[in-house]
Amino acid sequence: MPIASLLLIAFSIVLLALSASTLYVATYAWWDPKRRDRTGYPADPGSTGLSFSLIMPCRKEPETVMRATLDGLRAQTHPDFEIIVSVGHDDPETVAVAERLAAEHPDRVRVSIDRSEAKNKPRQLNTALADCTKDVVGVFDAESIAAPALLANIDASFRATGADAVQGAVQLVNYRDSWFALRNCLEYFVWFRSRLHAHAQLGFIPLGGNTVFVRRHLLDAIGGWDEGCLAEDCELGVRLSTEGHKIVVAYSPELVTREEAPDSVAALVRQRTRWSLGFMQVYAKGVWRRLATVRERLTARWTLTQQHFMALTGIAIPVSIGLAIWGDFPLPVTLIAFLPLITTLGTVAIEACMLREFGRDHGFAISTRDYVRLVLSTPVYQALLAVAAVRAYVKFRLGDFRWEKTDHSGSHLGYLGAEAAR
Amino acid sequence: MTAATRAFEVEAPVAEASGPGARVRQAIERLLAAPDVITVTAIVLAATVICLWNLNGAPEFQDDEGTYAAQAVSVQRGDLAPYTYWYDHPPFGWVQLAALAWLPQLLEVGRGTDVEAMRVAMAAFSVATCVLVYLVCRRVGARLPFSVLAAGVYLLSPLSLELGRQVYLDGIATTWLLVAFWLALSPQRALWHHISAGVAFAIAVLSKITAAVLGPALLVALLDRTTWRGREFSIVGFLALGGLTIAVYPLMALLRGELISGPGHVSLQDAMGYQFVSRSGSGWIWDAGSHRFDLASSWIGIDPYLAVGGVFAGLVCLVARRTRWIPVAIACWAMPVVASQGYLPAMYVQGVLPFMAIAIGATADLTWHGLHRAIRMVAPGARIAGPALVAALITTAVVLIPVSNWVERDTRLMTRDLNADWHRTLEWAAANIPHDEVTLVPYSMWHDLNERGWNDPWTLVVLEKVDLDSRFELEHPDGWVAIDWIIEGPTVRRNIENLDLEEAGRAYADSEVVQSFGDWNVRRVIHPAPIDIE
Repeated sequence: MPIASLLLIAFSIVLLALSASTLYVATYAWWDPKRRDRTGYPADPGSTGLSFSLIMPCRKEPETVMRATLDGLRAQTHPDFEIIVSVGHDDPETVAVAERLAAEHPDRVRVSIDRSEAKNKPRQLNTALADCTKDVVGVFDAESIAAPALLANIDASFRATGADAVQGAVQLVNYRDSWFALRNCLEYFVWFRSRLHAHAQLGFIPLGGNTVFVRRHLLDAIGGWDEGCLAEDCELGVRLSTEGHKIVVAYSPELVTREEAPDSVAALVRQRTRWSLGFMQVYAKGVWRRLATVRERLTARWTLTQQHFMALTGIAIPVSIGLAIWGDFPLPVTLIAFLPLITTLGTVAIEACMLREFGRDHGFAISTRDYVRLVLSTPVYQALLAVAAVRAYVKFRLGDFRWEKTDHSGSHLGYLGAEAAR
Repeated sequence: MTAATRAFEVEAPVAEASGPGARVRQAIERLLAAPDVITVTAIVLAATVICLWNLNGAPEFQDDEGTYAAQAVSVQRGDLAPYTYWYDHPPFGWVQLAALAWLPQLLEVGRGTDVEAMRVAMAAFSVATCVLVYLVCRRVGARLPFSVLAAGVYLLSPLSLELGRQVYLDGIATTWLLVAFWLALSPQRALWHHISAGVAFAIAVLSKITAAVLGPALLVALLDRTTWRGREFSIVGFLALGGLTIAVYPLMALLRGELISGPGHVSLQDAMGYQFVSRSGSGWIWDAGSHRFDLASSWIGIDPYLAVGGVFAGLVCLVARRTRWIPVAIACWAMPVVASQGYLPAMYVQGVLPFMAIAIGATADLTWHGLHRAIRMVAPGARIAGPALVAALITTAVVLIPVSNWVERDTRLMTRDLNADWHRTLEWAAANIPHDEVTLVPYSMWHDLNERGWNDPWTLVVLEKVDLDSRFELEHPDGWVAIDWIIEGPTVRRNIENLDLEEAGRAYADSEVVQSFGDWNVRRVIHPAPIDIE
């Protein structure tokens, strides 16, 4: 058999393995009905025992957005918590808003001003961490709406599992704002409903940056967040995983923190590039190499790189099929080149079910139009992810680690009406 | 401490609790705690022996077996078929055979022919089917002895034993169908099991299209139980992955430019039209003279116990929800037999036999359960007498009666050498017919004779190809006059008549027997003298 055929077969089998692994992590929570129950919070939160410091990092945020986020935090049913609004000294408008909000609720809210030269989220978080006084530190992005019973349930989760860190779920809700918002929302749904649980099962979790809770003494002991990293949240998870700390992931549709999807394609690509670049940084930093066994190190490697490869399969599959057809390869080789398409299209079919469950969980009426949009947007969205992955790789090679912040317009606030009307 | 363990300690005082001996003991204990593992092992061993014993002695090699053997060898050599592949069946059945046959080919089983190697490869599917009958029975909740009964009925029924020994695509498809049912009935109701069930069903259909008739029964098996979270995921996953896998077949036709009918090439559309519409039918089953009636009668004649008993057991299975899909499967299979007059292949029955065996096992279990309860209600004290009575009744009814008829037929399959004449004809023809003379041969022998010197499908020609493949005319513009020899097996005259093979028929009419081995004749065609032409 000519070498070209063998290469194409090998390439197709790698793509098949990648798309099958995507299907695996995406459907992990639906794998069997028992697993669905295991991925939730403890049944009854009962009494509370821990206290919480909630950090809300803000940068150039509109007052309406900040106020809505703060209201969500203040409305927590949990009795013992403080809120620290973290701002940068070079951003006077936001500092003014933060101070006004703190003055309105002096019992709960304080302001932490970060005065470091170069600004980024981990630096702000570390500055705010110094002001925290409670048992557990939680992070809430400026544009997120927490569920009122969240802290009580997180408290129960810490106590029931003896966890060192608990990751709550975040959900984008403005799924009708743009053609890509639907896919973006679904991605979050899959990430927090299923993928993170698959990673938790493997014992290696890249944490998220929102609705994440860590015991304060542990956070102090390991020196807080990595200030040089674009994915400080992921990096923290990797460090905690590597040192053998227990991380618990919990999901319940009633307790997700609501957020908004980026408002333009450019913003989406920027956000994705930042995440990918962050993961690459974490990979290159190599904390995971300290893991004891080969199996654990392989898991870490896979967790940190799978996303990039997944993004690239979106364009690699059509390319390999095109090559097979127009390259005049033997029939069996061409058929093998089509195999990754079976798993990819199968994943899209399963995603339609996930969209249905997303709608049911959050009280949205998912229409036929939404399903059609889900299917039609797949190839373009995949292409965008691939562009972001390539862009991140180029930046990584060039050593360009500047922070590209996602702007928030507050469009998720409009979707909370649907929730209230439920 | 019992006397037995004390004796053991005296004999083997060195055996420490943590030593290797203890580990072996623990392993054995674990094994004994898993009766299904032991039972499956026992079924595999028994089925392997019975399926392989005298495998190539009986029954006689059939033309279809030779066809699939030749096509499997073609796949091993990088093609789909020795003659033009015309989408008569999806090729994935003989692709699997090709993948499995290399080992028996390497070992040169039997007398070293490829058709024998293919039969050994097929035995792997038969053994798997037998094990799956047991496993599916367990999944519908039948107790272990009744599940073993079902596997035993399937293994020893002369009908399934005879068909299971032959190289038929139906046998391959049936194994995959049972895998699909076993997965669909998974007690965990896991999404992955249901997706895999869809893929297994697709492989069954890709092995033999007729497996598709059991699709509705598979959906009933998947869905007819208390609902569970994630049911819609299971349905969509099953249908999507199953459908996408089946789509590989039309995709293959499309890539070869043979999906749609057109001038100058074969096509999937034409083949489907032939198989399901224009192929000469077998008549109505209600018509006592029809081919369909004869065929169904012959199935019942070979094994009335499994064929008739399976239908009645299927009706009993309607009483419990967990077994309700079984009669649905039997009914789905029966639809083309009773409600159509289209072409009915002789081995079509193979697809329903495991389900009939499962029905018998499940019915025995349901009967046991029912009687057990009834006896306890009437006489609560009768703890031992009741079960013993029931066991005796069921054993007599289900096991002993058929055995009397089965022994004779199974013995014939296990002991007689019905292919001796086939082998002698093969060797004689290879040694005595010049390899450049055009020879017609039935498909059952074509491949192995072609390997013995001809190596050319248009000098050593399959009987039917003279009239049915237009390429014969291109290769031999003189038509039947080019034919020098005809090897006549038991099916040759029937095929010439049934298929209206004109050219082959004229050559046959002008031929004389030069050598005979039982039912097999080697005939030489007497050509008109050249003087007549002048």
